[in-house]
Amino acid sequence: MARNDLQGSLDLLVLKTLSQRGRLHGYGIVLHIQRASDELLQVEEGSLYPALHRMEQSGWISSDWALTETNRKAKYYRLTAGGRRQLQEAEQSFDQLVKGVRAMFRYA
Amino acid sequence: MAMFNRIRNLFRRAHMDAEIAAELQAHLEMRTDDNLAAGMGREEARRDALRRFGNPAVLKERTSAADAVLALAGLWFDIRYALRRLLKAPVFAATTIVTLALGIGATTAIFSTMNAVLLRLLPVSNPAELFYLHVPDGQPYGAHSTGDSETSFSLPVFEALRQDRRAFSDLIAFAPLAWDKVPVRFGEGAPEQALGEMTSGNFFSGLGITPRLGRVFAMPDEGQNAPVVVLSYGYWTRRFSRNPAVVGQAIYIKGIPFTVVGVAAEGFTGVDPGDSTDLWIPLQRRSELDPWGNPLNHTLYGSPDWWCLRLLARLAPDVSPQQALAEVAPTFQAAAYATLGAPDAAHPRVKMTMVPAKGLQGLGDYDRQPVMILMALVTLVLAIACSNVAMLLVARNAARRRDFSLRMALGAGRATLLRQLLVESGLLVLSGAVLGWLFALSATSGLARWFHIATGLAPDRAVLLFTSIVSVLIATIFALAPLRTVTHAPVAAALRVSTSTGYRNSRAGGAALSLQVALCFTLLTASGLLLRTLLNYQHTRLGMRTQGLLVFGITPQKETTDDARFRFYRELLDRLRALPGVESATMVGNRIGSGWSNNDEPIVDGVPYSFDQVPLRSNNVGPDFLHVFGIPLLEGRDILDSDTPTSPRVVVVNETFVKRLLPHTNPIGHRLGDLKDRPYTIVGVAADSKYRSVDEAPRAMAYYPYTQNDFRPTMQVELRSWGDPLALLSSVEQAVHQIDPDLPLEKPMTQSAVFEDSYAQQRLFSRLAMFFALLAALLVAIGLYGTLSYRVGRRSAEIGIRMALGARPGQVLYSVLRDSVGIACIGIAGGVPLSLLTGHFMGSMLYQLQPYDASSLGAAVAGIIAISLAAGFIPARRAASIDPMQALRTE
Repeated sequence: MARNDLQGSLDLLVLKTLSQRGRLHGYGIVLHIQRASDELLQVEEGSLYPALHRMEQSGWISSDWALTETNRKAKYYRLTAGGRRQLQEAEQSFDQLVKGVRAMFRYA
Repeated sequence: MAMFNRIRNLFRRAHMDAEIAAELQAHLEMRTDDNLAAGMGREEARRDALRRFGNPAVLKERTSAADAVLALAGLWFDIRYALRRLLKAPVFAATTIVTLALGIGATTAIFSTMNAVLLRLLPVSNPAELFYLHVPDGQPYGAHSTGDSETSFSLPVFEALRQDRRAFSDLIAFAPLAWDKVPVRFGEGAPEQALGEMTSGNFFSGLGITPRLGRVFAMPDEGQNAPVVVLSYGYWTRRFSRNPAVVGQAIYIKGIPFTVVGVAAEGFTGVDPGDSTDLWIPLQRRSELDPWGNPLNHTLYGSPDWWCLRLLARLAPDVSPQQALAEVAPTFQAAAYATLGAPDAAHPRVKMTMVPAKGLQGLGDYDRQPVMILMALVTLVLAIACSNVAMLLVARNAARRRDFSLRMALGAGRATLLRQLLVESGLLVLSGAVLGWLFALSATSGLARWFHIATGLAPDRAVLLFTSIVSVLIATIFALAPLRTVTHAPVAAALRVSTSTGYRNSRAGGAALSLQVALCFTLLTASGLLLRTLLNYQHTRLGMRTQGLLVFGITPQKETTDDARFRFYRELLDRLRALPGVESATMVGNRIGSGWSNNDEPIVDGVPYSFDQVPLRSNNVGPDFLHVFGIPLLEGRDILDSDTPTSPRVVVVNETFVKRLLPHTNPIGHRLGDLKDRPYTIVGVAADSKYRSVDEAPRAMAYYPYTQNDFRPTMQVELRSWGDPLALLSSVEQAVHQIDPDLPLEKPMTQSAVFEDSYAQQRLFSRLAMFFALLAALLVAIGLYGTLSYRVGRRSAEIGIRMALGARPGQVLYSVLRDSVGIACIGIAGGVPLSLLTGHFMGSMLYQLQPYDASSLGAAVAGIIAISLAAGFIPARRAASIDPMQALRTE
C-alpha cells in the first residue's frame, strides 16, 4: 500500500482488525492484515503507527503497555465505543465505494 | 477527552518521544524475532525488518506529529527551533527586529500624539454635544477684545445666550486669569505660578465633571462670585501629593484668599487638550482677577463692550447646530449691539458659528499642517521599513528553498513547514513590536513635551495594534511566499535547480529597492529643506545683542492705578540696576521674540495711513532700551529716565519707519499720533531689529516710553549682565521680594533662549526629519546590502566563470557597484518628482528658501549615491575576491 493514499482504508483495516481480534499490538495488527488479506494487502509497516496514534487521539482506540508471549514490552490497542461507531460508518461508506466502483466496471 | 490528551501531551513531549521510540523499536524487534524464527541470518533478519518498516526517523516524526496534531503541542518545540534558526542568522534577525521596531515605534508615537492633540474629544460626558461658539470675523465694530478675537464674547452676550434653553441645554463661559500663569501662594510659602481659569457656575455640571474630592462649584458660587477654588487632579497630585487635607485650606491667588473646596475628577485637564489647567474659580468681580490679568483696565462686569470670555455650548437634545444658531441669532445680535448702537453699513454685522469641541481648538491652524506633514514623513518610514522586512524575509526564505524541498523530500509535512515559518516570522514581529513599544514610549513622552501636554499622553494601544497587525500581515505574506513555490514545484526539480538563476525574482527585488530609494530620497530632500530652514533661522541677524540678556515678567498685584505701577517699576529698576553683575536694566511691554506685538495704524504729522498701507508695530519700553538691547542708535537719542508721564511725549522709531513714512527728510521732530490728542515727537531713530520672531520682515516700528502709553500691567524686565545672565536670578528674586513677597518672576530665561524658542518647532521638525531621513537611509542601505550580497552569492558561479575567462577583479567590483548605483539612479529618477511635490506642500514651513531647492536636491542625490556605493562595497569586494576554481567546484 502506498504511503499517502487510501488512508481511510488503512483506518478501516485497523478498526476491523481490532474488532475481530480484540486486543493487539501494532506488529500483531500488521500480521493480521497480511494474513487475513491472503498477503494481498502489504502495509509499509511503520506507517501504521502515525495512523494508530491519530486514531487514539481521535478517541477511536485506546492503548496500554503489556508483555507479549515472548516477554517483550509492547503497546496494545483496543477498540473504544467511539471506534465501534466509526467502524460502522467506515464499513458503510466503503461498501458504497465498492458498489460504485463495481457498477462502473459492469457498465459497458 | 481527545483534546485533553493533546494538551496533556504538550507537557509530556520528552516522555512521549521516548514512548514512541520504544513502541517502534518493539515492532522492529518482533519482526526480527519472527524472521530469525523463519530461518534468516541475524543481519538479514534485521535488514528485512527495516525494509518492511520504512524510514524509522521519518515515521517517528510523523507519529509524534499525529499525537501533537493541531499545532498546539508542537508550538514550544517550534519556538525553540525558530529561536535556534534565528540565532544562527543573528544579522538577519537583528536587522528585521530593529527595522520593525523603528517602523512600529515611530509610527505609534507620531500617530498617538496626533490622536491626542487632533482627534480625541474632550474627556467629558457626551462630548459630541459640545460646541465652541466662534465669531469668525471678529467682534462687532467698536467693541474691545482680549484673547483670540475669533473666540471672545462679552459677558452681556453670554448672559443673554444662556437664557435660551431651547438651543443649548448648557452654555459655559470661561477665561484664563492671565495671559500665562497667575501667582499663587499657600500659607507662608514662596509664591508660585499656576494656570488658572475663571468659569461660569455651570462649568463642571455642564461638562459632566464630578469631584474626585470635596465638591466642585456650581451656579450659586457664580452668583455670589464666591472665593472658592477647585484644583485639577494633576495639580493636586503634583503640588500636594494627593493630600486630602488640602480641602478647606486657603490659597492666595494674586494675593487674594480663596478656599479650596474640592478636586476635579482624574483625567480632566481643562477644555484645552494642549494645556492642562491647574485650578478653576467662579467668575469674579474684583478687578485684579479679571480675565487675562485685567489688561487695558476693562472689567468683566463693568465693561459691557469688552469681549473676553470663551463660550462652550452643550446642544439641547434633538437640536442641530444650524437650528441652534438660527434659534439664538436674534438674541445674539441684540445683545452684541446693545451698548454699541445700531450696526452701520460700513462694517459687517458680527456673525456667530459653532465648532465641534475637539482637541483642535488650543492648537490652531498654525500647528496643524506641520503635524500632517510629519505624519506623511513617518508613513514613508513605515513603508520603507515594511518593504525592507518583506525583502529580507523573501531573500532569506528564497535562499532556504532548497532546504525546504530537501526536508519535504525527506518526509516533512507541508503543515509542519508552514507552522515553522509562521512561528519564525511571528517571533520576529513580536520582538519587533515589543522593542517598538519601548521606542514609542520614549518618543511619545518627547513629543508630549513638545506639545506641552502635561498629562495623560501615552502611546495609543489601538495604533500599536494597528501597526503591529500591518507588520504581522506583511511578515506572514512574505514569509510564506517561498512555501508556495516549494509545495507546488516537484521536489526533484527544485533540488536539481542550481543555486543561481531566479532572474525574475531579482528584478522584482530591484524594483522594490528602487521604490525604497525613491522614498528615502524624498525624506532626504525634505530633511535637507528643513535643516537649511533651521540654519537660516540660526544665522538670521537679529539687529541686537541677545547674549548676556536676562528677561523675566513681573505683574504688580497690589498696585491698581497707573501711578502706583509706575512707582513700582521705577523702584524695581533702581533696585535691579544696583545689583552687582547687572550692567544695565530696562523693561518692555511685549517680550521681544515671544510672538506678541502691538499693531496700529500710523498718523504722521496729521496724515493717517491705513493698516494695509503701512502697518505700524509698537512696543512700550523703559529707559535705556536701545542701550540695553544693543540696538544701534542712528540718530537722536534713546528713551530716558526723564521721559515720565508728565514730560513731553516722545517716541523712537526705526529705519523702516523712516523709509516708509518720512523718506528724504530728517525725521527728528516730526509728530506721530493724533495731533489733537498729545502726539508723540520723534526723538530718535534706531536700526531695524527683530520684534515678534526671527522670520519676520522689517516693519515700521515705534518705541513709546511705557510711562506715556496705555500698557498692560505685566512688564518684561530685561537685564544686561556682565557674565552669565541666569546667575543673576537668585539676587534678582531677593530684590523683587523685598518690594512684594507675593510676586513671582514670570518665565525667567535668557533673551537668546526666547528667540531660540520662537523657532523651537522648526528645530524639532528638522531634527525629526533628519532622524527619519537617517533611519530611511539606514534601512535602504541594509536593503541594498542584503540584496547585493544575496545576488553576489547566487552569481558566484557566473562570476567565477567570468574570472576564469579573464575578467579582472576590478571589473567584477565595478559591475557589482554599477548594479547598486543603477538601482539608486532609478530610485532617484522616481524620487525627484516625489520630492518636488513634497517640497511644494512644505512651502509654508520653509524660511528664506524655495521649495525647489537645488542644494537640498543635490545633497540628497549625493547622499543616495554614497549610500548605494557604501552598501555595494562589501558585496563587491567579496565578488572581486571570488576564487574561480572554488566557485565552480562548489556548483
